[in-house]
Amino acid sequence: MRTTGGQLVMLVAINVALLVFGAAISGGTFLSPFNLQSMAGQLPEIGFLAIGVMLAMCAGNGGIDLSGIALANLSGVVSAVVIGSFLSSVDQQAAYSLAFIAGALVVGVLGGIFNGLLISRLNITPILCTLGTQMLFTGLAVVVSEGRAVAVGSPDLLSEIGNGLFLGVPISFVIFIAVAGLIAALLKFTPFGLWLMLMGTNPKAAIYAGFPRTKVLIATYATSGLLSGLAGVIIAARNVNVKWDYGTSYLLIAILIAVMAGVRPEGGYGRVVCVVLAAIALQLMSSMLNFGGLSNFVRDFAWGALLLTFLAVGRYNVVGLLTPNKSKKLV
Amino acid sequence: MGVLSKKILLGSAMAVAIVAGSAGALMAQNKPVIATVVKISGIPWFDRMETGVKQFQKDNPDVVATQYGPATADAAQQLQIVTDLIAKGVNGLAVVPMDPSVLEGTLKRAMDRGIIVVTHEADNQKNTHADVEAFDNADYGKALNERLAQCMGGKGKWTTFVGSLGSRTHMQWVGAGEANAKMHPEMVLVDPNNESFDDANGTYEKAKEILRKHPDIKGFQTSAGNDVLGVGRAIDEAGLAGKVCLVGTGLPNPSADLLDAGAITAIGFWDPQKAGMAMNAVAKKLIAKEKVEDGANLGVPGYEKVKVTKGPGEGVLIVGNGMVIADKKNYKEFLF
Repeated sequence: MRTTGGQLVMLVAINVALLVFGAAISGGTFLSPFNLQSMAGQLPEIGFLAIGVMLAMCAGNGGIDLSGIALANLSGVVSAVVIGSFLSSVDQQAAYSLAFIAGALVVGVLGGIFNGLLISRLNITPILCTLGTQMLFTGLAVVVSEGRAVAVGSPDLLSEIGNGLFLGVPISFVIFIAVAGLIAALLKFTPFGLWLMLMGTNPKAAIYAGFPRTKVLIATYATSGLLSGLAGVIIAARNVNVKWDYGTSYLLIAILIAVMAGVRPEGGYGRVVCVVLAAIALQLMSSMLNFGGLSNFVRDFAWGALLLTFLAVGRYNVVGLLTPNKSKKLV
Repeated sequence: MGVLSKKILLGSAMAVAIVAGSAGALMAQNKPVIATVVKISGIPWFDRMETGVKQFQKDNPDVVATQYGPATADAAQQLQIVTDLIAKGVNGLAVVPMDPSVLEGTLKRAMDRGIIVVTHEADNQKNTHADVEAFDNADYGKALNERLAQCMGGKGKWTTFVGSLGSRTHMQWVGAGEANAKMHPEMVLVDPNNESFDDANGTYEKAKEILRKHPDIKGFQTSAGNDVLGVGRAIDEAGLAGKVCLVGTGLPNPSADLLDAGAITAIGFWDPQKAGMAMNAVAKKLIAKEKVEDGANLGVPGYEKVKVTKGPGEGVLIVGNGMVIADKKNYKEFLF
């Protein structure tokens, strides 16, 4: 746990540096309320997926969830097709919105439980299992939507989630922070959280200690699936349409965020607040490069550099080296 | 640790406050800014479009015109660029949508903020002020297929490639191609609509598979800019150059070797440079509150007398006549 506080400090510092730098190159427009809102609105879809990846990683034993964005698209597509067949997004706006959200979340949870069952009951390595389900979910979404975009439209409630503001903050961002807070509390204060982390630290000891391994794994992947469902709702709310091939690049970005946030790929450790901050940092950096008119290839480079920096910070106590006082206290 | 992070937090909060405070003074931008957003950057097609945007900038010093594009072919990445540009406060957006349906919500937000939106290769885009097309898509698909049929002698197995099933123009071209092939009853369509994702290597692998599966295949009709390169290489390596016909969208320069070798029968294209200039010209006109009317001259070759009709949404559909189909004999006239 020695370096984990350092990770948080680093993340805060990077976020601030990015804000300052962005303001400097854009002559201030980067910090305009509209851009802050715009960036906050872009964040939740990838943020939810990153928290899902974090949960899977914490479970240890090579835990990872590659099916996140595929499941998000599937839940949006299935929900839009099913709900759209008996409710109209124009005439029954509230009912459609609620049914759509419920549908997407149910599909997300079911997909997550499916992952959990395969991993815990059949003992399939998570990376292979979720790679398989990723293709399965994508394929299902293609079949259900016949390869086309499915129109969700902008019924009141849903479009409010996608475009509305609450006290000047995009509602999708408020939802994201609230859900992130809930997950953080779940990890910190419930037996589930403790089981998950301890199991990730030492799976064998966890089995001998009599942890409900299967249940914990299923719950973990189900939560990850629920987050995918939420991402699906946000995508639909913002984009008016849902499509099976949306966000194919999100898969690696979500993993990048989790690793940047100091989640241990071996399992057993990860903090939601760090994931949120890492997601914000990536968003800031990508928006900043667009503001500066730099090529998007620079962005890939910069993300890679950031990732390596964070891995270095995680491995060697860089923050401690730079601040002698602190390292003395901690050692 | 607690003290240190508090110090850092406080310091950073102050830094942000200072920068935010000085922000207003620097916002002096009086020239209209037109941002061109392409599907993907770093490929020949959109590099050529960028030369058009640069040319437009040179000819029109009273605007600021630049081109942006994602590094990966993902509609979500393009969406983020558009969202950021809206927040940056551009006056005009000239977008070549990766997937028009994904951009609807964001383009609507842009229009609500008073930004002029011009699209290209998206005649089904509802939330746009004007969609600029180089030519009528059905005519183009038909012309490609007719050239293919001529090469195949009107008979044999043939197949089609599209960038992705969501690429509307590509689907229209192969659709019009299929319709045209019905006039040649001996042409048999096999395994249609292969997705290439505009990736020459992936297309090459797929074309090799098809050549193995159908050793007697006679023709390919392709859509995305890199498809002819992938399929052409597969035909060339199989020693089938001149025996299997390949007609598709492509650029003269990258296709030159394969055209000379006979692996590519003919390429069809419109000049993305001109399309980029036309989009920007329309955006500039609309920003200046001018109208683009039927028969208008955009001042860009191929767009001297455009056809203007009502689009699927509030906006208009502007169609030029920039179609070119070139083969071994005449491609050198269009080198770019």
